[in-house]
Amino acid sequence: MTDRAAVAPGNAVGGRIVVDGQPIDFGPGDSVAIAVVRVGEVPARGGTLCLAGDCGNCVAQVDGMAWVRTCQTAARPGLTVVRHPADGLPTLPVTGSPDVTAVPVEREIAVRRVHVDVAIVGGGSSGRAAAAAAERDGKKVLVLDASAGEDVVAVYAGPTLIVRTPDGMLHVEPHETVIATGAAEIHPVCPGSGLAGLLTARAAERLHAAGIDLPDAVAIGTPPEGVPCTRVEGRLVRFEGADGRVMAVVTADSVGVETTTPCSTVLLGLGRAPRDLLARMAGAVPLRVAGSAAEEHPLPPPTTTGIVCPCSGATVDDLQVAWDKGFQELELLKRATLACLGTCQGGACLPHVRSWIAARTGEVPAPFTARPAARQITMAEAAADTWVDAFRRTPLHDEHLALGAQMDRFGGWWRPWHYGDPVAEYWAVREAVSLGDVSTLGKLVVSGPDVVEALERLYPCHVADIKTGRSRYALLLNERGHVMDDGMIVRDAETRFVLTFTSSGAANAEMWIRDWIDTWGLRVHILDRTMSLAAINVTGPLAGTLLSRAGLTEVPRFLGHVRAEVAGVPCHVMRLSFTGEASFELHHPVDRSVELWRALKDLGRDLGIRPHGLQALQALRLEKGHVIIGMDTELDSTPRRLGMDFAVRMDKPWFVGRTSLERTAKLPDHRRLHGFTMSGPAPMDGSPIRSGGEIVGHVTGSWASPLLGHVVLLGWQKRAPFVDRVEIDGREALVSATPFYDPEGARARA
Amino acid sequence: MLALERLRGLRVVADPAALDAARWDGDPAEPVVLRFAPDDAFGLGARAVKVDDEHAIMEPEVGFVGAWLSPAALDDVLSRTEWPLPAARPALAQGLIAGVPAKLWLPTEGDALLLTAAAHADELGMRLR
Repeated sequence: MTDRAAVAPGNAVGGRIVVDGQPIDFGPGDSVAIAVVRVGEVPARGGTLCLAGDCGNCVAQVDGMAWVRTCQTAARPGLTVVRHPADGLPTLPVTGSPDVTAVPVEREIAVRRVHVDVAIVGGGSSGRAAAAAAERDGKKVLVLDASAGEDVVAVYAGPTLIVRTPDGMLHVEPHETVIATGAAEIHPVCPGSGLAGLLTARAAERLHAAGIDLPDAVAIGTPPEGVPCTRVEGRLVRFEGADGRVMAVVTADSVGVETTTPCSTVLLGLGRAPRDLLARMAGAVPLRVAGSAAEEHPLPPPTTTGIVCPCSGATVDDLQVAWDKGFQELELLKRATLACLGTCQGGACLPHVRSWIAARTGEVPAPFTARPAARQITMAEAAADTWVDAFRRTPLHDEHLALGAQMDRFGGWWRPWHYGDPVAEYWAVREAVSLGDVSTLGKLVVSGPDVVEALERLYPCHVADIKTGRSRYALLLNERGHVMDDGMIVRDAETRFVLTFTSSGAANAEMWIRDWIDTWGLRVHILDRTMSLAAINVTGPLAGTLLSRAGLTEVPRFLGHVRAEVAGVPCHVMRLSFTGEASFELHHPVDRSVELWRALKDLGRDLGIRPHGLQALQALRLEKGHVIIGMDTELDSTPRRLGMDFAVRMDKPWFVGRTSLERTAKLPDHRRLHGFTMSGPAPMDGSPIRSGGEIVGHVTGSWASPLLGHVVLLGWQKRAPFVDRVEIDGREALVSATPFYDPEGARARA
Repeated sequence: MLALERLRGLRVVADPAALDAARWDGDPAEPVVLRFAPDDAFGLGARAVKVDDEHAIMEPEVGFVGAWLSPAALDDVLSRTEWPLPAARPALAQGLIAGVPAKLWLPTEGDALLLTAAAHADELGMRLR
């Protein structure tokens, strides 16, 4: 089965397009370039027209889009074209002063994806033959034909072919790819090659077929078929002209005697080169090149003068200057002169540059790798169907919105930043009771006969002595002893645990743990419950009261956990504290979350309950000096640098990271995360920390604590010896022990 | 907008051989069992399961949403999918659809089931509208 997009190459009935503000007629099937030539003009500037998409000599601004190949653009009524005959380079359309803060408005680009057995790029004889052969084998075939408006602009690993069509972008995912793009015609390089009135032989055939007369035409080299012209013998020397149009062609015989032939049009049959840009773009992508695109074609004779690269304007003299400076390879010469770096990526000049180098080295250099995009495409086309990462929503998302929450993206989730009054949210936690949506925390269930052994190896704390019904705070280290994540180890049974992780670190932690357990060959089952269980943190001095009202009869003591119904919802209740107050995380099925949230809100109405967002949580944890992995830490933060040696038990024989910690413990350290206090307003996160006028670190989080009456903050000192007094925002800050608030932890345990 | 509805069932992680031999019960009597991994299965509509693995993790699962897709609707979804479908049926295919992690259950005959985590439901629905 052959699946071809139904794209007509041109309007079936003709009509009028607008070129430089003037309407002109076009005929049925005309491209924009042919329509322009039909009225005696050139689509962009002079230079040889190939009308096959190989060069950049017909680019213009079409319907506001710059750098469009008009020979590959079907004319349709009302289409507007702006030429720039002075230099041939369309300017980007800018009107007025652009508002750089405005959200860009792009057309929505439709994208289709198709999966086929065989994709064939090229609708010529080779492409059709390849399609027929594949169809005989019962394969699903898609032929992509540039002349039908299906322009393959990129080949990526996958493989994926990115195709621009008049209906939008097409992403093709084939099992096999055949490049059958044929051969391009050689452009002339000599004085006068930028004049109008020069056509390749096949361009002449196309114009003739479109009913366009080519008066006073002379042909050099292989003449076009069926086009009336006078053949001129000899070697091409130069074109002569006036007012930008060709008036004569000068040739030379074998002994150098020149002949001038007056003409209005020159038809050039100078040879062919493989149209293999997509094949050269593919790199390691497996594909087959068929037909003329796969053939070796003779290179043109080495040029001696004139413009080599019509796109960049690089001349033969430019090549020589660069060569004499030592740029004596194709890749170097390309970069030094910009030849082959224009809109056609060497479509017009690459054979000439290779021939020119071969004449000097005796070896023909291999063509260079081509890069996407093979055609100019807009940012909207390039970005079409490219999605930002999907940010997850907790089951309480709509509840947060209903409460007026300002939502933002954190750790791969949409989370409430605040509900309008973060200070009131802070006080609700400190003095009453508050609810926090912590559904985003990572949650793994691990079970198996080797689970204790696995966790002992994975974590730097002891695990075997955690009793069923109890939990322990734990760091997760990599082999270098750097902190990757943190969370709780919660023992459910002799051989079953629940592990929690940070919201942003959960996915990585899961992969890490699976990988190690597989590596060790331990018998441990793992189930990720992160998106199956929601969690609500009930925190504040009245949290226990609220939970008792909700039916929790057995309130676990600090670091304990129970499974119980809360407000009729089955929950795994874990007692811990990140806020510094008594806190209970209620892990429960996601489909019961709204019910639980609303019940707790109702039951706590007279207790001063209100939800808190991340902004208040940041303040609360800062007063406790709690570190947030990824916010306060850096990629190479060790427990020592974070002041968290309490979470590491070097009396264990081995755990991931132990060897590195043992080695680095003997080395001097130049980095340390400190607690600081200072007066005045809280400095911004990232503010430099100075000592003696030098920057020695930066602030990772700060908060002007209304309870403590001063600013508390965490920040790095990255220069030894560490000092006790620093300067932040021009004010003195003192290194202070953490926690700043309730250092004995009495409130969390209450 | 794709109507994604919550899927309910049992999630079991166990030794692959034990999962192969598991006996599921639910509504329907023989639930569709989606094998997410050799050791990980989701029994759609399952209420009970017997697995010969004392360390198996068995949990009620409500964390997924899904929609049954007609062939035409499946084609529409596949137009946003970078990867090809497996040729065999039945099959469970997993990957990004419109940039969102998702799964497709392709039974031997009849409609296909599109699944994603409930946390991704709004995003996937919006992207496939």
